[in-house]
Amino acid sequence: MSGQLARIMVVAVTGLVLAVSGLAATAGPAGESVLRIYMVGDARTLDPAVASDFPTASNGYLLHLRLVIMDGAGKIHPQGARSWNITGGGLVYTFELDLRAKFHNGKTVTAADWKWSLDRLAQPATGSGSAEAVLGGVVGFDAVRSGATNSLAGVRVVNPTTLQIALAPDGRGGFLNRLTSYNASVLNREEVEAASRDWHEKGAAGAGPFKLAAWERNVRFVYTANKDFVLGSPKVDRIEMLIVPSAITRFNLYEAGQLDITDVPLADYRRVATDARYTGQLRVFPRAQILFVGLNQGVYEPFRDVRVRRAVAQAIDTERIARTVFFGFYTAAKGMVPPQVPGVDSGMRGLPYNPDAAKRLLTESGWAGRLPPLDMAINPAAPDYQMAAEAIAAMLKDTLGIEVRLQRQEFAAYRAALNRRSVFPSFMQGWSAAYLDYGYYMDLLLHSRSGLNFANYRSPEFDKLLDQANTARSETEREGLYRQAEQMAVGDASLVPVVFTRWAVLVKPHVRGFEGSPLSLGWTDLTGVEIRR
Amino acid sequence: MLGAALLIFVAGRIAPGDPVAIRLGDTYDERAARAIRKELGLDRPIWTQFVRYVAAAARLDFGESFIYPGRRIDRIVRQTLPLSLRLTALAVASAALVGLSLGVISSVRARSRLDRALQVLVVVALSVPNFVVAALLVLVFALWLRALPVAGIGPWQSYVLPVAVLAVAPTAYITRITRTSMLRVMAEDYIRTAHGKGLARPRIVFRHVLRNAALPIVTTIGLAFGYTLTGSFIVEIIFNIPGMARVGVEGILQRDYTVIQAVVLVYTSLFILANLAVDLSYAFFNPRIRY
Repeated sequence: MSGQLARIMVVAVTGLVLAVSGLAATAGPAGESVLRIYMVGDARTLDPAVASDFPTASNGYLLHLRLVIMDGAGKIHPQGARSWNITGGGLVYTFELDLRAKFHNGKTVTAADWKWSLDRLAQPATGSGSAEAVLGGVVGFDAVRSGATNSLAGVRVVNPTTLQIALAPDGRGGFLNRLTSYNASVLNREEVEAASRDWHEKGAAGAGPFKLAAWERNVRFVYTANKDFVLGSPKVDRIEMLIVPSAITRFNLYEAGQLDITDVPLADYRRVATDARYTGQLRVFPRAQILFVGLNQGVYEPFRDVRVRRAVAQAIDTERIARTVFFGFYTAAKGMVPPQVPGVDSGMRGLPYNPDAAKRLLTESGWAGRLPPLDMAINPAAPDYQMAAEAIAAMLKDTLGIEVRLQRQEFAAYRAALNRRSVFPSFMQGWSAAYLDYGYYMDLLLHSRSGLNFANYRSPEFDKLLDQANTARSETEREGLYRQAEQMAVGDASLVPVVFTRWAVLVKPHVRGFEGSPLSLGWTDLTGVEIRR
Repeated sequence: MLGAALLIFVAGRIAPGDPVAIRLGDTYDERAARAIRKELGLDRPIWTQFVRYVAAAARLDFGESFIYPGRRIDRIVRQTLPLSLRLTALAVASAALVGLSLGVISSVRARSRLDRALQVLVVVALSVPNFVVAALLVLVFALWLRALPVAGIGPWQSYVLPVAVLAVAPTAYITRITRTSMLRVMAEDYIRTAHGKGLARPRIVFRHVLRNAALPIVTTIGLAFGYTLTGSFIVEIIFNIPGMARVGVEGILQRDYTVIQAVVLVYTSLFILANLAVDLSYAFFNPRIRY
């Protein structure tokens, strides 16, 4: 009896396995070219104004239209605006809109739509955390932000095809760069106001190169090419963006032919780079991301002495970290701003690794042998942070005798504590750009007024340089001031730069025209991608 | 249920972490944070928040996600729960079928080489983590043989691997408990009497032994349902399945209070129902039990 049962079971299982057929590769209707790309998680929303996560930002690049866009080299190109003039001593931007720009429901995009969208971005009720970064310095921004009014006085509809934006004299510079942010997209007011709170799920308010055909939550996005896109129809007919949080699963899907593009996790890079199966498919390009150590002088008393901070900075061998911990895949950072940012001082030497100088500085400060243990919180978002932090902890122990206690915690707790700025004596953190601009790093991370100045860096001289940069009359002058500020910030060692990171992706041979970007998840523009099987 | 709701409500808000900070991301802005807190009702005293939550829940209005603006909780549950239930039901049904069969075989061939081999298999199945099983199955069936999909859920082929992974541990438990329970009953006098009366062996095993050994087996199957449902997060991640376990864990990590509360309430309800079904089934297996 038992033998019979056993035989029945074996036959049933074998039959089940043999009877199945493999899943066919995803294909659209005959003749349609489909790009299958990954996304690391579901988008929180498709409202670009409140985009704060990579999935939302990436979808924003497909679905929405901005006045101007930036390529991977930091050059500005027209998108919704066909041209612009800068007058008033660099404070007045007049955009001539491209009348070919239409929303996905066919309505032409006018200056009134831009005005409404930018006003909405600034209004606190919208809940955008990026409004200050994008629109800070626009005349009337503070009034809108404080709730006194809903309309940005500095954003004016000259006529249906002309939009004018005025900045305050002390307004933040790099305005065109800031307008390339996905947050600064135009929305179809009728669609937003007519629908309920989930209007963004329908994707009908966009004017971007792709239209949303379907959004299966936590499964995939499906986009179709917007044939009427202002800059011309994308070359691919459809994009299927699979939402795959697990890096291993993404890789397996790529291997199985169900993804055309996938990222290569850091841990797998060396294996993939030497595997002949991936010859010609591996692409590596720089990312505008820096990993750094924050030395919080608001919490750890010794860090109030700049000599102690410099000692720590000069005890960290960033070249060795880049070479051994990250096997040369990342590059040692000398400054705080990645080299892709326009105007960056590529020759910056920063504070060089010099253990003797580090010990001398610590002795001069009077803290040698007296430093209390240093708790260092590690951003849990990626393994890179822990890898770097462990090396740094060992270096600080060996050179300066500092006992570093690494603390790893869950992301939500880490984020909340970091924002409070009064919890972590030091932290291993990173910063990547929503747009390539000096101010995105310097102003947001280090100005004393910034809520993101996690290390509580206070330098009136540094603030003055930044304020001057924001009122500079020319880009050349602005960049010069920022370079000085960066040199000062690096010398003050409130944030100690460690490495600049890179992307590695695998791209199937039949995918042509994929261009990597230092921003977001490694791409911002898929209009030039073609599928040639 | 009210106790569970209160416990998870308070625990979520006491735990460090801030859903508003998660929602605003890297460019956290205090003014935007205040506006969002007001929108979500987080600026009210905690007891007010709880009362409002319970009152709304009584109307079956579980509100919106804190992290995904505009996303209704009831929609999230409607979209994710059936999928998780389907996977769990298939896994537990498979585990019950296979586990019962192996347990019966093991008990009637007790102490044989087959029995010993099955015992080793049970230990291995209980020891190997399910993500290792998943990785092996994906490697063999999806990447080498290309017989089954790597990930995703859709056609019936896509259920095979995740169900198999989910079923491994419950199969082992059910096999073991079936064997133990049957061996205990087989030692009873009335079974020896049945043999003495010349009844056919299959009849003795299925009608007399298995039926009398059923209570602990049914209990294990009921518990397996609950543990499989709540423990399927890793499987849902590996196979990219948008189920409730994945949504629940992501909700916890992002401090999405409304999602966490809903998931806990749903799971609590399902646990209660599963246990009730198990309790009621006792009367079927043992007529002496009356409710």
